Amino acid sequence: MTRRPTLKVWALVPALAIVLAGCGEDGGSSGDGGDAGSGGPELVNEGKLTNCTGLPYKPFEYEENGEVIGFDIDLVDLIAKELGVEQEVVDTPFDGIQSGADFNSGKCDISSAGMTITDERKQNIDFSDPYFDATQALVTKKGSGISDITDLDGKNLGVQNSTTGFDYANENAKGANIVNFEDLGLLLTAVESGQVDAGINDNGVLFDWVKDKTDFEVVKEFETGEQYGMGVRKGNTALLDVVNKVLADAKSSGEYDTIYEKWFGTKPADN
Amino acid sequence: MAMSKRKRAQVIRWVQYAILVAVVLVVAFTANWGKIRTTFFDLEVARNMFPEVITVALVNTVIYTTLGFGFGLALALVIALMRLSTVRVYRWISGIYIEFFRGLPALMVILAVGTGIPLAFNTFLDKYVALMIALGIVGAAYMAETLRAGIQAVPKGQVEAARSLGMSPARTMMTIVIPQAFKIILPPLTNELILLTKDSSLALFLGASVSEYELTQFGRVELNESRSLTPVLVAGICYLIITIPLSYLSRYLERRTGGKKISTPESTEVKA
Repeated sequence: MTRRPTLKVWALVPALAIVLAGCGEDGGSSGDGGDAGSGGPELVNEGKLTNCTGLPYKPFEYEENGEVIGFDIDLVDLIAKELGVEQEVVDTPFDGIQSGADFNSGKCDISSAGMTITDERKQNIDFSDPYFDATQALVTKKGSGISDITDLDGKNLGVQNSTTGFDYANENAKGANIVNFEDLGLLLTAVESGQVDAGINDNGVLFDWVKDKTDFEVVKEFETGEQYGMGVRKGNTALLDVVNKVLADAKSSGEYDTIYEKWFGTKPADN
Repeated sequence: MAMSKRKRAQVIRWVQYAILVAVVLVVAFTANWGKIRTTFFDLEVARNMFPEVITVALVNTVIYTTLGFGFGLALALVIALMRLSTVRVYRWISGIYIEFFRGLPALMVILAVGTGIPLAFNTFLDKYVALMIALGIVGAAYMAETLRAGIQAVPKGQVEAARSLGMSPARTMMTIVIPQAFKIILPPLTNELILLTKDSSLALFLGASVSEYELTQFGRVELNESRSLTPVLVAGICYLIITIPLSYLSRYLERRTGGKKISTPESTEVKA
């Protein structure tokens, strides 16, 4: 007698499991991305092109008056327009972007984060055609006597985690004490407050910073032949094709030059 | 539905089991196990983390936490005594301190100390010192209230006996009350140590050189170099190596002190 209700309940378990599993799968596929229009690339959030980037990275991407703006953001806007959707910017640590984790976990579709195309990163994510030429640069306080990376023996050199500057410093500043920062803002604050004697990062952002901070100067650039590319999830060729087409169109139509001049004050050297 | 009370309890229990089984099945069927194995349990990546994850990262986590806890405890003692002082202004100051720093996220205090102090005073602040101060400030706000409760929990008779033996009020406090208060508050203090261990992960926002990495930053840097989330898992396990024994210690101490209930910061209203 007492066992009967028990058995009845057990009989329900597989049914319940199937129902719930069905729900789970449904949820999963819609999470992978709804269709963005007819035959367009799938997006993680319907109607939105979600862009993972690391703020602040002025003038490529930074926040001003509650809005994220910058060179990269304008370019991604062109892509969003092509897809007929809105861009949504997600501010996230850079290591999640370059390791591909943010794409694989469905956090975003694309990343424009002033990101240099490297073979190592290519193993984790797919890159668009290059859209910007960059070099590494060294920033320090005026009158510090530091003019090259070799002057940093025994001194503190600030770098940003997971960046090409981090790699460059580790290879070329062997005598320096390399201090690793989470983002550009924290790195530059440390340069300003004297926690580090110099900082290394991409030339675009450092030249922009010393415009405001007149006590500081960029003393050296290192020709590393780096090029920025936009990242997408590995194998997401549908989106990558659109990105490359938009970039090529923008370059041929002169739209790229206009955006470039808006953020850097000069026309690009060659294109 | 005529069901006896006992029968109903039984049915409800079985429904609960059914839900548990269903949830487990859903997770088991929907999870991508192959992916989970390669992202979280990549043995080669894990092997590469040794021995630095222990000799550098774990050690630094322990050092930062210990420094912060030591500084915080000393500061907490001062604040607790101020809280119990007969000087009204001292009571106000300590009350404001406790409310202020219990209400702020630890990350903000760490950023304020680590980048604010050097900017304001134009000095270089050693990372160990910065973290000692920042974690100490955060921990002290909680420990001060615990200490105050502990001091008040020491039976009045102890004070009266000491005073009647001719001890001064200060000596009574230092040699009679505070030692007994510490014995009472050891379990909650151990919990605070666990919280500080976890808060020490925020050190990564101050930037660090390789020899200064603590567990979280170490894990994140490794994460960049490998394609897997295994470093995060390994770093997480290292935290548990610290925190689980501490929480057992805390429970053991609680049992040894006879489970004497004292009011902890969470259960005490601060009277302004």
